[in-house]
Amino acid sequence: MGIVKASDVVYEYIRRDEEGNVEGITTAIDRVNFDIAPGEFVAIVGHNGSGKSTLAKHINAILNPTEGTVWVDGMDTGDEGSLWDIRQTAGMVFQNPDNQIIGQVVEEDVGFGPENLGIPTKEIWERVEESLRAVGMYEYRKHSPNRLSGGQKQRVSIAGVLAMHPRCIVLDEPTAMLDPSGRREVIRAVRGLNQVEGMTVILITHYMEEIIHADRVFVMDQGKIAMEGTPREIFSQVERLKELRLDVPQATLLAHELKKRGVVLPDGILTGQELADALVGKKRGQG
Amino acid sequence: MLRDITLGQYYQTDSVIHRLDPRVKLGGTLLFIISLFFFQHFPGYVAAALFLGIVIKLSHVPFRFMVRGMKAIVFLLILTVAFNLFLTPGTELVSFWKLTITWEGLKTAAAMAVRLTMLIIGSSIMTLTTTPNNLTDGMEKMMRPLRVFKVPVHEVAMMMSIALRFIPILLEETDKIMKAQIARGADFESGNLLKRAKAMVPLLVPLFVSAFRRANDLALAMEARCYRGGEGRTKMKPLVYQKRDRIAYLCILLYLAVSITAGRLVWMWI
Amino acid sequence: MSIILDHVNYRYGEGTPLETAALKDVCLQIPDGQFVGIIGHTGSGKSTLVQHLNGLLKASSGRIYFNGEDIYDKEYDRKKLRSRVGLVFQYPEHQLFETDVFTDVCFGPKNLGLDRRETELRAYDALRKVGLPDELFYQSPFDLSGGQKRRAAIAGVLAMKPEVLILDEPTAGLDPRGRDEILGQIRELQTKTGMTILLVSHSMEDVAEYVDRIIVMNRGSVMYDGTPREIFTHYRELESVGLAAPQVTYILHELKDRGLDVDVSATTIGEAADTVMRALGR
Repeated sequence: MGIVKASDVVYEYIRRDEEGNVEGITTAIDRVNFDIAPGEFVAIVGHNGSGKSTLAKHINAILNPTEGTVWVDGMDTGDEGSLWDIRQTAGMVFQNPDNQIIGQVVEEDVGFGPENLGIPTKEIWERVEESLRAVGMYEYRKHSPNRLSGGQKQRVSIAGVLAMHPRCIVLDEPTAMLDPSGRREVIRAVRGLNQVEGMTVILITHYMEEIIHADRVFVMDQGKIAMEGTPREIFSQVERLKELRLDVPQATLLAHELKKRGVVLPDGILTGQELADALVGKKRGQG
Repeated sequence: MLRDITLGQYYQTDSVIHRLDPRVKLGGTLLFIISLFFFQHFPGYVAAALFLGIVIKLSHVPFRFMVRGMKAIVFLLILTVAFNLFLTPGTELVSFWKLTITWEGLKTAAAMAVRLTMLIIGSSIMTLTTTPNNLTDGMEKMMRPLRVFKVPVHEVAMMMSIALRFIPILLEETDKIMKAQIARGADFESGNLLKRAKAMVPLLVPLFVSAFRRANDLALAMEARCYRGGEGRTKMKPLVYQKRDRIAYLCILLYLAVSITAGRLVWMWI
Repeated sequence: MSIILDHVNYRYGEGTPLETAALKDVCLQIPDGQFVGIIGHTGSGKSTLVQHLNGLLKASSGRIYFNGEDIYDKEYDRKKLRSRVGLVFQYPEHQLFETDVFTDVCFGPKNLGLDRRETELRAYDALRKVGLPDELFYQSPFDLSGGQKRRAAIAGVLAMKPEVLILDEPTAGLDPRGRDEILGQIRELQTKTGMTILLVSHSMEDVAEYVDRIIVMNRGSVMYDGTPREIFTHYRELESVGLAAPQVTYILHELKDRGLDVDVSATTIGEAADTVMRALGR
């Protein structure tokens, strides 16, 4: 069993009208199965309402499945007794950077998690330093979070989770409220964690350019995993992605368009460089 | 605009005052304020001003910055001075229209103005040099004995610290909401009291909705980081008195002795 | 009929130690009916700029003319200006407050002192224009989805019948589907009504295929001003200020560098495919 495993997970919630009468039942997650290996970088994409954030909240035991089971490092998330161990093992970063920073000073915020875990003071300082360094925010440790940019705030939030020494980190649309440069900053930090520290990363996003570096991609639609595979496998199905109203990298789109016009190209082109390689070869072959 | 309010905002720099234990600063500020109300005569104020001057110098916070923060309360200051100036009975000094200024009035007004100014600057030094977290930590520790009476000291301190963190965010948000509604023709400035109160609705509803959403998000984020109340928590920055804190306490006591003596005894040679 | 900015400067916190120049010597002319994208990253001054156009912020120096009239003139009715230049802010959550969508949209026209009939007519018209389905009119605005909230917010400003519509980051926080829908709706609005629309965004890619003209803001100044095609020829300079041209531009440059004779100024996938096909001799 991997670090995070879900088997036949269903999550339903009851919609009520203003008087509290039951209006109906919505199935937000519908029979989802996956098994994530330690050190893996998994991206979960889908548009709003596809159930991807609901799924993420299950990994941190914020939500419990209506049916089925989620295991984090072998612990059943439905087991009240291991709640805090689960939350420490699978750290979670949320969408809005302002609403998850508790401290008034960067380092104090990063220290918040370890304080809650009852870590001795000296070790808290060590953890804070190493976590801030891991996301490249060490020189800002004495700053007020209010003066940081969105990307910097999110990196502080990531450090706050890292300081709890989790084995897996779940990021729930961490870039949705950021501008392009903030987005790049955060994704770079996340990739660094995965590659350098070997941290298991589960990234939930709707920006398709952020999933190119993932080991595996889940595409969610209507509570189900609609597609699963490597980024290349996913992006080779342009029509299917368009159906799900998701973005496709422009290089892939252009390749797709050219193919439709009769140019023979390989599947799953992701970058301009790959497209150039294929096209230049073609040109030579002709001449 | 709203973000210009600097009163009580932490000013980030490094100084002896910044490094002092928050309990010293809390206690010191309290004693300083009490001392101001013990003075009856001029030399006491000189002593207080001198003490304050030294502390300001040591704090490395630009004086300009403190004064700017005071702008918000100038009105209150003027009001207090005016009341004292015109409403204190005694020997008449000048009189015009229905207003009379008395010698006693002038003296009380001047004393009041000086007291208030020093009180405000004194307490703003505390907040300028202490991170709100540190401050609440200090209060939490100072009030720990109250736990015996089932006062939830940790929870109150945590709430205060969170409130302080969100004040600048909510101020900025208020500014944005106001602009968004003004762009839709809302008028926050004219009309009578009732009309103005009604005009606040388009501002307050989005602000409350947002504040509740933030509170909800924050609670979730805190739980995700294993927050479960004060039990079993350790501190990243535990409060331990250092040598400099003991020296600071001595300095404060010394100041108290000097200033109160000066402020009360000097009348003999006037 | 147009908007003219003549050497506009704006400084934040004037007279304080924290004084910073937010706009530096901005000169622009925006003719009637144009669809303009104002691009820049956070802090580039793009939001500050548009808040000048409806008088929410007053320039430290310089003049702004709306339809030939100086908006800083003593006689000028600046309150009226706010209804003629409609500004929709980034987060719809900052303006929605009524119990139902329809009443919320009525807020603007009601503030203009219009009678009930006219107010409701305008609200209805505005909601139709943004494509919000009828069954949502009497829902609480807080129950709408992100994209629907955005539409309701735009309708709230449209109901004042502005001559110019400014949208500050209308796609922030939306998913690709929501983004495409709202931008498509805005384009439709523009072609149908011919009104001047200013779209503020930090994403070149999002606006490139919609607008006639792009104004790039950087550090409070206008860095580039031209058609998308012209702007993207500066893709290297854009990158140095934290902006990026659409990926297509990079792909075409890559192809050209590798010896394929393509026209690098194509901005959409269709155009790019055309030029690649030509280069391949097909």
